[in-house]
Amino acid sequence: MGEHHLRIEPAGASRATILIVPPLFEEANRTRRTLVLAMRALAAQGFAAIMPDLPGQNESLVPLEHVDLAGWQAALAEVAADIDGPLLVASLRGGCLIDHQVKAAGWWRLAPVGGASLLRTLIRARVSADREAGVTSSLESLTETAQREPLLLAGNRLSPAMIAGLGSAEVQPIEPLRSVALGADGIAGTPLWLRAEPGEDAAMAEAIADDIASWSAICGIN
Amino acid sequence: MTDTPATVDATLRALLADILGLGEARAAALTEDSGLFGELPEFDSMAVATVLTEMEDRLGIIIDDDEIDGEIFETYGNLLAFSLRKVTD
Repeated sequence: MGEHHLRIEPAGASRATILIVPPLFEEANRTRRTLVLAMRALAAQGFAAIMPDLPGQNESLVPLEHVDLAGWQAALAEVAADIDGPLLVASLRGGCLIDHQVKAAGWWRLAPVGGASLLRTLIRARVSADREAGVTSSLESLTETAQREPLLLAGNRLSPAMIAGLGSAEVQPIEPLRSVALGADGIAGTPLWLRAEPGEDAAMAEAIADDIASWSAICGIN
Repeated sequence: MTDTPATVDATLRALLADILGLGEARAAALTEDSGLFGELPEFDSMAVATVLTEMEDRLGIIIDDDEIDGEIFETYGNLLAFSLRKVTD
């Protein structure tokens, strides 16, 4: 797809490639540092790890308002098709909404979230910013506008197709899948994707890498 | 709902700690009069939106647009009072 991607290789031959699908929009920035630490930890365990830019995000030259969820799903499938050897997909939050068209030996999802919840937060941020600026807007009025024209939500100019897609997007069933949450039974750590300012959590990055490595063995990767 | 005022208070402190990166000690030290929006630099419009969505998820409530005014986010006490009102509705 011609987008940049970050790739971290192990010292020797790789056991498999882990395709990291980051959270969407601002949540991607808040988690990027910890995800890259997890990629390094994976490389130390013999995995190659790749985190692609989605079209319209990061260094992409594609205007964000030209993309939608279907485009992101297709772009990830294309990235995956170019990867040699066994592949495992590891997705976070909204990334779990776009990871199911990829062909892989297994899927790992952390704290999956429905698109409606992400959209609600984005629209609320706009309502809140409007209120500060003395403009009256509401979830309803903005949702209606979004049916006709792109909407600027928390710095993201989103197309009607993207907004409609997010509003109805649910995490899709796929096999084999390990879906984990934060907490004692899952990954110990804090929900960095909610954080108003970017943070990092090295222990959480290690826990993510260890959990993915264990899951890869169950998926038949040596 | 089985939420007691104490669990609502604990839930609210935990979500503010998560979103504002306060750390447990600062979150535990919040009092009724502690200022939020306009006082804590991290508390911007995106944080307000995230707090509302997380309140819905963690407290099992639905918050309508027209219930929100600036006062709710002025102090921790106001936000707690609003949350307690919502869970007992």
